[in-house]
Amino acid sequence: MNERSLLDMCHLLVEHARKAGADEAEAAAAWQRALETHVENGVPHTVHSREETMFGLRVIVGGRQGFVTANDMEPELLIERAAEAVAQARVTPADPAVGLPDPQPVTPVPGLYDADVAEVGAEETARLAGQMLARIRDLDSRVRVDSGSVSATITISALTSSRGTAVSEASSLMDASAFGMAVDGDDVASFDYDSAVTRRVRGFEDEMNEACGRFVSKCTAGLGAGRGESFRGPIVLSPEAVAEFLLPVLVSALTADAVRKGRSPLGNRVGESVASKLLSIWDDGRVPGGPSSSAFDREGMPTSRRALVSAGTLQGLLFNHYEARAAGGGARTTGNAIGSVTALPSVGPHRLEVDPGTIAMDALIASGERAVWVGRYSGSTNSVTGDFSGVVKNGFLLEAGARRPVREVLIAGNVFELLGRISAISRERRDINGGVLVPAMRAEDVSITAG
Amino acid sequence: MTQALELLRDIAAGQDGFVELRYHAKTSRSIGVDKGKVERSQIRHRKGVGVRVFEGGGWGFASTGSLDAASIRRAVDTARAGARSTARAASHSLMSLPECVLARGIFDQEGLEEVGVRSLEEKIGMAASLEAQVRGASTAIRSASCTYNEIFEEKAIVTTDGAAAAFRLVRPELRVQAVAEKDGQLSTGNEAVGATGGWDCLFRGASGEALAARAARLAQDLLTAGHAEGGRSVVILAPSIVGLLVHEAIGHTVEADFVQAGSVASGKIGQRVASELVTLCDSGVSEHYVGAGGTIPVDDEGVLAGRTTIIQNGRLVSYLHNRESAAKYGVTPTGNARAWEYSDQPLIRMRNTYLEPGQQSLDEIIAETADGYLLEGPRNGQADATGEFMFGVQEARRIRNGKLGELVRGMTLSGIAFDVLQTVDAVSRDFRWDLGAGYCGKGQPAKVDAGGPYVRCRALLGGEQ
Repeated sequence: MNERSLLDMCHLLVEHARKAGADEAEAAAAWQRALETHVENGVPHTVHSREETMFGLRVIVGGRQGFVTANDMEPELLIERAAEAVAQARVTPADPAVGLPDPQPVTPVPGLYDADVAEVGAEETARLAGQMLARIRDLDSRVRVDSGSVSATITISALTSSRGTAVSEASSLMDASAFGMAVDGDDVASFDYDSAVTRRVRGFEDEMNEACGRFVSKCTAGLGAGRGESFRGPIVLSPEAVAEFLLPVLVSALTADAVRKGRSPLGNRVGESVASKLLSIWDDGRVPGGPSSSAFDREGMPTSRRALVSAGTLQGLLFNHYEARAAGGGARTTGNAIGSVTALPSVGPHRLEVDPGTIAMDALIASGERAVWVGRYSGSTNSVTGDFSGVVKNGFLLEAGARRPVREVLIAGNVFELLGRISAISRERRDINGGVLVPAMRAEDVSITAG
Repeated sequence: MTQALELLRDIAAGQDGFVELRYHAKTSRSIGVDKGKVERSQIRHRKGVGVRVFEGGGWGFASTGSLDAASIRRAVDTARAGARSTARAASHSLMSLPECVLARGIFDQEGLEEVGVRSLEEKIGMAASLEAQVRGASTAIRSASCTYNEIFEEKAIVTTDGAAAAFRLVRPELRVQAVAEKDGQLSTGNEAVGATGGWDCLFRGASGEALAARAARLAQDLLTAGHAEGGRSVVILAPSIVGLLVHEAIGHTVEADFVQAGSVASGKIGQRVASELVTLCDSGVSEHYVGAGGTIPVDDEGVLAGRTTIIQNGRLVSYLHNRESAAKYGVTPTGNARAWEYSDQPLIRMRNTYLEPGQQSLDEIIAETADGYLLEGPRNGQADATGEFMFGVQEARRIRNGKLGELVRGMTLSGIAFDVLQTVDAVSRDFRWDLGAGYCGKGQPAKVDAGGPYVRCRALLGGEQ
């Protein structure tokens, strides 16, 4: 498969849809070949090879939208699927906001494809998996790798529409991950994981080795955890906790669909302060060689770098074409249509980046006042209201410069209120899977309950 | 179906060593209505054959979306090469799979025609009407949504050591959400049902209209509810929360791959791990009544998916196995090997996980509870290898002096699952499957169900301090 043949397939699907009665049509397709060595219980267990082309066909008939996705490649089935999409559109109520965007110029993002990744074979992924396991074992024999993998993936994406959009891109990905826990006699620590993701073969082993170090350190941190203390006070969120707990709730509230559906408390607050002045957040789909980068979004529109929050002030919302039309008032897509070809485009960020602070991470941990370090957060977070309540994982009680591992500590509050109580941000940042670049953060006045 | 079975049999017949061939075709439909708009009506077709080869102690897996014999034979060759790479990469203790009883025949499930003959218009109409019902329930309702999904599946599994089984099934699901607002405060009410079978199974417990009414009422009631107090408390868990507890916090720790990695259940077979009132099972069959969402007649290794008792009257008696882990532990496979798509390899997964019912009525249990909470409807849940768990609770009602009192919001339930099960002192005779709309994630999704009776125990509650 190559970009040309995938584009041809998309053109054919659009043509079939038009012949079946569609006013407009958009076909997106992705061909992927992946080779992965899967690790189970500390040994390379299975070499997994897959190759597949999936497509998604969106059609519009009289303002009514239909969508079909399939992995069929047979010519007669492509005709059948197009007819099915049109038939589906005909029984769906009309929506004045549905439509396809006009084509826009798209500039490639450098460093997304490395031909060396296509040359990585089963023996090499098995060797790298063995190396990852040996590295973890050497660092600390108490760490058990329950599962993990090393994979090499090549993806070709293409999208065409009856409006004239025609874009394509090839990308590569090397990925290693480990999931497990530390066991020391009867002491079993919490699950944890880490991963390394790069677009290139060169440098991948170094990234993988660093991920092994982080994994071991996180797994063993929870050993010997004792009872915490109940109090109302500050928490320090690790970069992982910022990425997995704080940012998703905030960013969900910044999507135009959440605002339109009445599920965001931030919708009418563009230009207002929504967080501490210390906080600035960007969305960037164009980081050279970035694992989350792409030249175009799920609707073929160019990606960009945009400020979402600057010094605590909300700068704008994320739109795809549908949401821009639904919002009216001159709103335009921000190139934030996301999702795979197997679903209708949704709205979201490409890669979030939080500006660094001025305090060293060590100083954040050793500030003296009693606080709880949140390595990970495992709990319930209501993305509509912002209410959260959950367990701290890899938690430490910080006091007078010392730290003690704790378990069964619950934190509760409201994310949107917490954003205003951020009192310090670390100058070090962590790139997590190429999807986010985040520092650690301290937030004040949180309800902390020990079990 | 029989055609796919025959094709796989022909290909398996010419192979050396252990080869497993799995044809899997899925057609999924999803309809989403949100704030008066049909936002999504989409259909997904995915089909192909997944091939596993076990050779020299190593596994190889390859998949193809092409259903011609030549493509499948090529996938076998690729999987065999992969198995050899894995075999060379490490020393392996298990070099062959022991013989076991394997499924042969056709095992179609109920509901295929009943769901299939309903038109797309009818399904869109139902979702639109339920969303409108929620939105119109009160001026406090700010938005509403309704999602209807259905998955039709066809599978054929053939192994060179004797499995030759095929089946078809359908799993419909319905979710309704209400968002209410008062003075800038938002609250949500959610109801969800899912089944393996027809709409008669899906709506057995409550009609779509009743689910919509409940979601709207709950969102409004929570607007004025106070926050819960944190701390250790007596709680009565509803079947949905019992289901989540036994799935997330117990079930995962007894999956044999997690056990081998050192989960908290490791080495505890035969030990007392729960109150005598606790008998916990996982079954491919829908026990007690039909329709449980995780039902499978045969697993993806061709093993019949019957019932496995995990805890019998408080003692741990079994883990959940695939063929490989069963061989390592010297036990019979339990039919827990499951793959989400043709291109996924089977992993050890739960099916329908539940606590066996007891003797008391819920009213009796409430009446004899001096101080505590009745907890209904999990918001989500996570658990650890240690059995430590944390679930959000949608609906928590105070119990004082044997009587149900006010609703509280923002509550979470947490603890160490095996410790919590040790404190169980009352189990109701009511039984409900209540997580049929749920999916379990473990690298790949799996459709599961869970449930049980009402159970009284002690656990840690989180709320505002």
